[in-house]
Amino acid sequence: MDLSRLIQRNLKKTRFIIGVVITTFILFLALFSPWIAPYPREGYGYVPLEYENRKLQPPSLNHLFGTDVLGRDLFSRIAIGASTAIIQAFTVIFLSLLIGLFAGISAAYFKGVVELVLNYLIELFMAIPAIVIALFLRLSTGPGLHVVIISLVTTWWAWYARITYVYAKSIVEMDYVVLAKLSGLSDLKIIERHVLRNIIQPITVQAISDLGSALLEASAINFMGLGLPPGHPDWGVILYEGITSLSLEAFIRAPWLVVFPGLFILITTLGFTLIADPLREDLDPRLRRRWRLWF
Amino acid sequence: MPISLNYVLKRTFLSILIVIGVIVFTYTLLIITPGDPAVKWAGNPRGPKAHEAVELARRELGLDQPIYIQIARFIYNVFTGNLGLSIAYKIPVTQVVYSGFTSTLELLLFTYILAVPVGVLLGLYSALRRGSSIDGFIQSFSVVLASTPTFWLATIIVLVIYSTTGFLPYGRVSSKLEITTGFQSITGFYLLDSLLQGNIPVFLDVLTRLIPPALAISVYPLGVITRVTRTLIAEALLEDYVKAGVAWGVNRTTILKHFVFRSIIPPIIQTSGLAFVYSMVDAMVVESLVFGRPGLGSILLDALHKADFRVALALVIYLTIFYIIVNTLVDIIQAIIDPRVKL
Repeated sequence: MDLSRLIQRNLKKTRFIIGVVITTFILFLALFSPWIAPYPREGYGYVPLEYENRKLQPPSLNHLFGTDVLGRDLFSRIAIGASTAIIQAFTVIFLSLLIGLFAGISAAYFKGVVELVLNYLIELFMAIPAIVIALFLRLSTGPGLHVVIISLVTTWWAWYARITYVYAKSIVEMDYVVLAKLSGLSDLKIIERHVLRNIIQPITVQAISDLGSALLEASAINFMGLGLPPGHPDWGVILYEGITSLSLEAFIRAPWLVVFPGLFILITTLGFTLIADPLREDLDPRLRRRWRLWF
Repeated sequence: MPISLNYVLKRTFLSILIVIGVIVFTYTLLIITPGDPAVKWAGNPRGPKAHEAVELARRELGLDQPIYIQIARFIYNVFTGNLGLSIAYKIPVTQVVYSGFTSTLELLLFTYILAVPVGVLLGLYSALRRGSSIDGFIQSFSVVLASTPTFWLATIIVLVIYSTTGFLPYGRVSSKLEITTGFQSITGFYLLDSLLQGNIPVFLDVLTRLIPPALAISVYPLGVITRVTRTLIAEALLEDYVKAGVAWGVNRTTILKHFVFRSIIPPIIQTSGLAFVYSMVDAMVVESLVFGRPGLGSILLDALHKADFRVALALVIYLTIFYIIVNTLVDIIQAIIDPRVKL
């Protein structure tokens, strides 16, 4: 079943449609936020000159989500933050997927020492938490997008390598692969035609659902102040600035500072999950099976 | 007992290999990331004695020697627990990490002791009433839970508790209470210590400060375990032995208790073990920035603000070791209780 038919079939499910709507909305924000945001410069971190009169205003028609401690319009910051969120999640997953596919297929196809070493590396990198690598990178290179991307890819690639390995392992033992080998087809062609084509679909679906987890992890790193620098339009950074810039008493009176950025992380993650779950059920016949009520 | 010593030995050997791999990896990180490794190791010293400090660090790491000797030395130092003094705290790095570890572990264990049974019950209920509106609700609920950023939820929890009751769930125990009752921790697990010493006021105080962060962290295990349990039970109910049992007129509770439930325990343990190590990071983020509890999270933040590379290195290494230990234990426990696992 190809992906477009898979998607068409799923368009009947409410969950899937909600997921598509949410994700489209966030992607739309990410692409067009500089034109949607009422104060785009503030969204990128510019502090308005008259900030004393504008700081910590509650949500109103003028400032949809209120303003922060430095008088910046929170809606603009969050809208522009959508692009940061999308960039982080997609870059991390895309790079990890590339490395993982390469490593997983090589391990399954070439066997022997390659398999042994790659499996060892997969075990190793799955055990390292991204947040401490982020701390290390932050200390040696300073803040920036690269801290988030590198630390997450370092751990995420192993996950895809393992899934790919498991799928590919069962495929390379199939008769048609053996036959292709015997008939003298080159390794690259076999991998491309027989192995990759068979596993690309389930892996893609897995990747869509992982976009949410990657966003959650990236936001946690930014929330700890390990990734992007203060002032950057990122939901994790906005949350971090929200809770560290105020005493608790003042903070109680400005709950919009944390409610909205977190809500956007939640909604975006939910959107990816809602798209991926029905697709996965379609691909996995075990999940599709109707439950007969014996019990 | 279906478990062989051979298996345990093999598993342990693999774990040690991975630990060595992690140590080599962290050392490579120290060398290849921008900046002089000796300066990093000395903690970016300033002032008149800066030069000497860097030279000392160079000797400590053995940077003038070939790379394999440096690495061998580093591995030796890690295994003997000798990573030098922390820049930020001026006490051995191993001690720093250990002191934070107990606090975070207490929080995590507390969370999981509550979250795992609740998740299993929710999943069980959902699977038995599958197709009903309650099942739909529990399923959507667990999807939303799995998408919730823990640190955000934690902040909301603090806001709600503080604005409604005026109580601030900050730190591990109230320092006033600690002094008036003369509470002293021996093991580092406050809940256990206060209970063993019969110190009820401290016990209650520690408990009230544990619950809010535990609530926030429980979001992930609750969502995952509910989902997994539902799938497992629904699958198990399709098995032929259940059909046969129903046909023979065996009591449904008996089937559930003795056949279905038993078969799902090993995978539940595995899922919980995996979730447990992932929650470690959640706990670190939540406890330090939101709840002001001392622990691994606050150690990470201190390392960040004081540019303490030694603690950063130690955190990478020891957290990975923790992950590997938990994973190995889960595998071995699974092998013990599940006769189907061939060793």
